[in-house]
Amino acid sequence: MVTNNQAKPTSALDSIKIDVDRASPTIKPQTCLHVDGLDLFYGGSQALNNIKMSVAEKKVTAFIGPSGCGKSTLLRCFNRMNDLISSVRITGKVHLKEQDIYAKDVNVALLRQRVGMVFQKPNPFPKSIYDNVAYGLRIQGIKGRKILDEAVERALRSAALWEEVKDRLTESALGLSGGQQQRLVIARAIAIEPEVLLLDEPASALDPISTLKIEELIYELKNDYTIVIVTHNMQQAARVSDYTAFMYLGDLIEFGDTTTIFTRPAEKKTEDYITGRYG
Amino acid sequence: MSSITSSGKNRAHERRRLVKDRVFAWVMSVGGVIVIVAIALIFLFLFYSVAPLFQAAKVGAVTQFDVDYKEAPLYVSLDEYKEVGLQISGGGSYQFFSTDSGRIIESSSLNFLSGTKMSSFAVGALTSNVIITGSDDGRADVFKANYTISYPNDKRLVSPSLTRPLEGQELVLDEKGVAIRLITGQSTEDGVTVLGVSEDGSVNLVSAVKESSFLDDTGEWVIERSTLSLEGNQISHLAMNVDQREAYLLSRDGTLELYDITNKTSPRLIDRVKVVEGSVRPTALKYLSGGLSVIVGDSQGNLSHWFPVRGPGDIASLRKIRSFIPMNSGVADIAAEYDRKAFGAIDRKGNFSLYHATAERRVFSGTLGTQALSEGIQFSPRADAITFRAENGSIGMVEVHNEHPEVSFSALWQEVWYESRDKPLYVWQSSASNNDFEPKFSLTPLAYGTLKATFYSMLFAIPLAVLGAIYTAYFMSAGMRKIVKPSIEIMAALPTVILGFLAGLWLAPLIERYLPGFTMALLIMPMMVLLAAFTWAWLPSRWKIIDMDGWEGLFLIPILFIGAYLSFILGEFIQIYFFDGSLTHWMATAWGITYDQRNSLVVGIAIGFAVIPTIFSISEDAVFGVPHSLTQGSLALGATRWQTALKVILLTASPGIFSAIMIGMGRAVGETMIVLMATGNTPIMDLNIFEGFRALSANIAVEMPEAEVESTHYRILFLAALVLFLVTFMVNTVAEVVRQRLRQKYSSL
Repeated sequence: MVTNNQAKPTSALDSIKIDVDRASPTIKPQTCLHVDGLDLFYGGSQALNNIKMSVAEKKVTAFIGPSGCGKSTLLRCFNRMNDLISSVRITGKVHLKEQDIYAKDVNVALLRQRVGMVFQKPNPFPKSIYDNVAYGLRIQGIKGRKILDEAVERALRSAALWEEVKDRLTESALGLSGGQQQRLVIARAIAIEPEVLLLDEPASALDPISTLKIEELIYELKNDYTIVIVTHNMQQAARVSDYTAFMYLGDLIEFGDTTTIFTRPAEKKTEDYITGRYG
Repeated sequence: MSSITSSGKNRAHERRRLVKDRVFAWVMSVGGVIVIVAIALIFLFLFYSVAPLFQAAKVGAVTQFDVDYKEAPLYVSLDEYKEVGLQISGGGSYQFFSTDSGRIIESSSLNFLSGTKMSSFAVGALTSNVIITGSDDGRADVFKANYTISYPNDKRLVSPSLTRPLEGQELVLDEKGVAIRLITGQSTEDGVTVLGVSEDGSVNLVSAVKESSFLDDTGEWVIERSTLSLEGNQISHLAMNVDQREAYLLSRDGTLELYDITNKTSPRLIDRVKVVEGSVRPTALKYLSGGLSVIVGDSQGNLSHWFPVRGPGDIASLRKIRSFIPMNSGVADIAAEYDRKAFGAIDRKGNFSLYHATAERRVFSGTLGTQALSEGIQFSPRADAITFRAENGSIGMVEVHNEHPEVSFSALWQEVWYESRDKPLYVWQSSASNNDFEPKFSLTPLAYGTLKATFYSMLFAIPLAVLGAIYTAYFMSAGMRKIVKPSIEIMAALPTVILGFLAGLWLAPLIERYLPGFTMALLIMPMMVLLAAFTWAWLPSRWKIIDMDGWEGLFLIPILFIGAYLSFILGEFIQIYFFDGSLTHWMATAWGITYDQRNSLVVGIAIGFAVIPTIFSISEDAVFGVPHSLTQGSLALGATRWQTALKVILLTASPGIFSAIMIGMGRAVGETMIVLMATGNTPIMDLNIFEGFRALSANIAVEMPEAEVESTHYRILFLAALVLFLVTFMVNTVAEVVRQRLRQKYSSL
């Protein structure tokens, strides 16, 4: 299914064509995810064209672009969620730290433990709040009540949900509001302490107040996690992200630090999109 | 600018739209209401047909017979159509009279031998219309009432007559010529037997059998006699059964003795028991119809049912089988019905009660009109009236409506101790070849059969259907699913009569022949699947030239065939070398497990086959309907596909799967054709998978055509239908309620 037609990957930092974070010029961010020459086909049609990029560790990277540009598809390449679609064919390399995640001996389940994902629509399981958060740990075989209790509380606190739900952990997660559900899903993802958190339009189904909470949460979480967020909302990208990638029709048009992209885009297409000419 | 009020050319369109809306709303509501009403009507009709079973008996109008009799009446009885009555008085005169007008049709005397008087009197079996008298010089005489129906001038005419079966043959009971104090007897075509107690306490038995001559109609009467070696002064009641093989002697102190009088020259005591305690005195003894058991009444109003029960060593002992709700005061007289195990009793205060022995049920209790009764109650042949003697010496008749005394909760659902059985049993036996048979209406074996069919069919269907549904919905490739799902669903279109036919005539003999092979297949086929899976997993990756993901099922088909073939080869081998060539025969001899060809295994497979499409289809929809976002959420947390299937998919689909199982079960419970054709329909209660059963549904199908309309049997079949209807209704309701509640719970998914 996966064939590698590319040469061996180039050095991790070679192809970063962005400036370092201007706020802290002395610390060079480490590369967490490195994409090189990634092509993705849905059957016969190509959805991603020769993507090359690096995602910096413990920073927020936003993917923006019009619908169908391939930003979600690219995001799903990072934890191999595209494997679920049988017609998808991928060539090129994606490295998590030093490991090729499309290598043959990769255990996808273990990869996904390191690269967590949150979807557009909140998708809590029809279980209690506690069981939702503990799910990721339990499937790893962790059973100790104390360990689980601590992990659940830590995750819920990190997701800024603890105070709201601490008295009803045994109640069904389906009784929570949409915004709470989305934070629960984030708590569920970070309970297993992944290295990377992929957020696929996490606030698009939420009201403005819930959206704000999610954005605050993202701001908090970047201290501990590398975050990649796909968003339709350019203000959101501008507010929460350190780096922004603009994609258009399967091409990565421009990738740089957020301030640059939004104030002095190098590409005409980027500028047109940001200023609302299309999208 | 548009307006929200209709105007101009839009108005017609708006109107049409509104009318269509209303019409459809109406059609939908009316349709829904009709469905509900139809179900309610079915329920009501069943209930209406069943309700009379549990109604108490009713006692109707009292008719006083205005007969001009000269002496105080002793006994009164009716013919089958309640047109002609017979009244016998203590002095020995008798009258046949019309019950309508009181007109005397025939009046005469019993014609005793000169100088003798009637000193005792008894009634034989009701069906024989026989009266036995004892005289004060130790002789016995037998009379038989005959009602001949003729149609002179096309008008119905009942001509009653009293004949003497002994044809003038003298029957001396007490050879010393002592008066007969107490008498009983029977007279049939086979002969006459009379048992009597004389004033001096001797108990004598005498029989007269006519040995007919070969040459002409004349014959010789052969008299056999014996004297029982006991002192009979204490004896208060005698009873003899209609085939003249048994007699009961009841003493004032409550001793009940049962004698075998088959051999008239040497009666043999079978058993002797005390039927009352302390100072209580027995006051009545009566054979129930059929002549197998007696009812004993005592001075405190208790009524009990007795018959001999065969114990170890084939020794019969008299047992008190059951007792009934007591009467208010001492029992004065008992009357038994002609052909049901029902009886009536009156007490010293003139209260009247109707009972059914086997059902242990009192169907009526009260007084018969305003009449104060003494003794001498008698059922009419069709049990639709009771004749009585009132204390003021008059005689009369009271109508009785007692349609279904034999039905009670205990008779339907509990173990019942039937006559001549050695222990209480659950028996369904609604008809037999002879007339004096008592129908046995226990629904328990039938309900058991239904549950057994459901159990074994669900055992077969649930694993296959549910696991198949999970695989098809979650693991199978879309291309294969497109073929598999409709194929299984089309199985539901197979008429069950074809499944039953195949199961009974093709599968049953096949399983009987290859039983070890079938058993082996249950083990070997899953093992083959696992073996194939492990082999594939261990295969070096360069050999895996085909991507089997989602198509495993297709590749397993040949493996399953090989497994089945191996099972049969191995099964045959085992059968020949370990079980002497036939496992079924070997099981019967070595383990005592009987094997019916049409058994629960066959039915389980056939009904399972019938319900698999239902369970599969609904479960598959439930599993397939689990939102994709949940699957993805689980996988994105690092769960494997199996973990996702077990912990998220199954959990979320569980309401759908549950309701699928319940709907399948509802179908299995009501399944008729398969259980009818593929079981032996024997109403036995046995969990043995190799034996058959009779299900409620099949029982209705088998017996409804032969049940007399509005008979007890007919109504009990409706009761079976009602039970079946309620069970399926409840199962389906539970399924729907659970489904609705869980759907509400998961509605935010």
